[in-house]
Amino acid sequence: MTATDRSRNRELVDFVVLPVFFLTVALLGGLRVGAENRAFIFVAPPLVTLLLAVLLVLLLVRGRLIRFQQLVGTEFPPLTNVAHIWMLLTLFFASAQAFNSVLPEGGLLHWLFSFFFLWTLWNNQFSSFDARRLLRSLAILFGTAFVLKHMLLASLYSTEGGWLKRVAGTLLQGVSLGTLDAPTFAPATGYISFFTLTLYVAGLTLLAFAGKDETDGLGHPLVDEYLKLPASHRLAVREAILDDQPQSVATVERLPARPDE
Amino acid sequence: MQSKISQVAGLALTIAYAVFIVWIYATEPRSFREVATSAEVASGTYQINQEKFNSALDLFRREQFRAARDEWQRADPAQGDSRTQFYIAYSFYREGWGRVYYDQELFKKGLEAVNRAIALTAASPLTVDDPNLRMHTAAELKAELEQGTESSLSDVNPLKVLRTRK
Repeated sequence: MTATDRSRNRELVDFVVLPVFFLTVALLGGLRVGAENRAFIFVAPPLVTLLLAVLLVLLLVRGRLIRFQQLVGTEFPPLTNVAHIWMLLTLFFASAQAFNSVLPEGGLLHWLFSFFFLWTLWNNQFSSFDARRLLRSLAILFGTAFVLKHMLLASLYSTEGGWLKRVAGTLLQGVSLGTLDAPTFAPATGYISFFTLTLYVAGLTLLAFAGKDETDGLGHPLVDEYLKLPASHRLAVREAILDDQPQSVATVERLPARPDE
Repeated sequence: MQSKISQVAGLALTIAYAVFIVWIYATEPRSFREVATSAEVASGTYQINQEKFNSALDLFRREQFRAARDEWQRADPAQGDSRTQFYIAYSFYREGWGRVYYDQELFKKGLEAVNRAIALTAASPLTVDDPNLRMHTAAELKAELEQGTESSLSDVNPLKVLRTRK
């Protein structure tokens, strides 16, 4: 693949594919299908999902999945900056709608899920993440929420009486689930949510991989920072490291010099 | 240059998509058919089903008001035609009118329908030239429906039974 092809593909991903992916998530994240008449129900994102989206975007920045310096900066043309900011905006709304897709619509469970999301995202702000680990962590977070809402809870509140409802009915005979009440939706809602979350995670994966050169394989942040340094600074860093390991200096000095030095 | 074209095209395409999403959430269509109808209304190409409208008018003249309303609702699913909404309001009026009392629920629904009709013809007053009707403007119908939903001393006037339905 030539450098021109790579550049064109990257533009296609950054300016068309990623915004379309994220906007589709924003569209489908709030879509439910009524259980009785199979009518579309559009649920606007609750305020708490915007807060969760802010925390998630901060986490994506901390985990180096979004690299602002590679997307927005004074060295880029204004149109490129605008296009990248637009892509980040679509990512923000997609994040809010991804949460909307897996949050129960009301009642105590809505607040319980919101609390656990907030807790997890807040804790993660202080953890050490790289892009790969963060992607895995997010996929598991959304996957778990999906299973809880669209499989376990959907079965519990199913009008036809799902397996979990029968088990819960046997175990909790006489105990009211009134406070945990939630609206019921058609099974299609679960399929839509699954597609939405898959698209969201696929978008994040593209975002993580598309903006990088082939040599930059989502490595350690320290190595990434090192690779950004000019050649003279890299040499200084290497010398400083080698000063800490006097026994290996001789070995390293025999190695051929890098072509860019 | 190539880069600029892809950026502008990408921005235009995705902004149009975002506007579509905002519109979908604002109009909240309940089915793909409603999405299509709402799109027709937005683009100004919306037309009611004339056949269903005429069939509803026929039912209305035979005083089968509920059936007429059902047909009109099918003829104008987007509630975007002022004339149809006027007739729906009129059917609520005629069905709810009573010599001794007015059906408040029907009159309220009629008021909603006539308000929709007025809102759809905000530029000029709505007039319907139908010789079978005794009220030809939306303003007249609205006033009649409003009077029916308000309580006043005239409600206890025994001569009220002599009033005629319009």
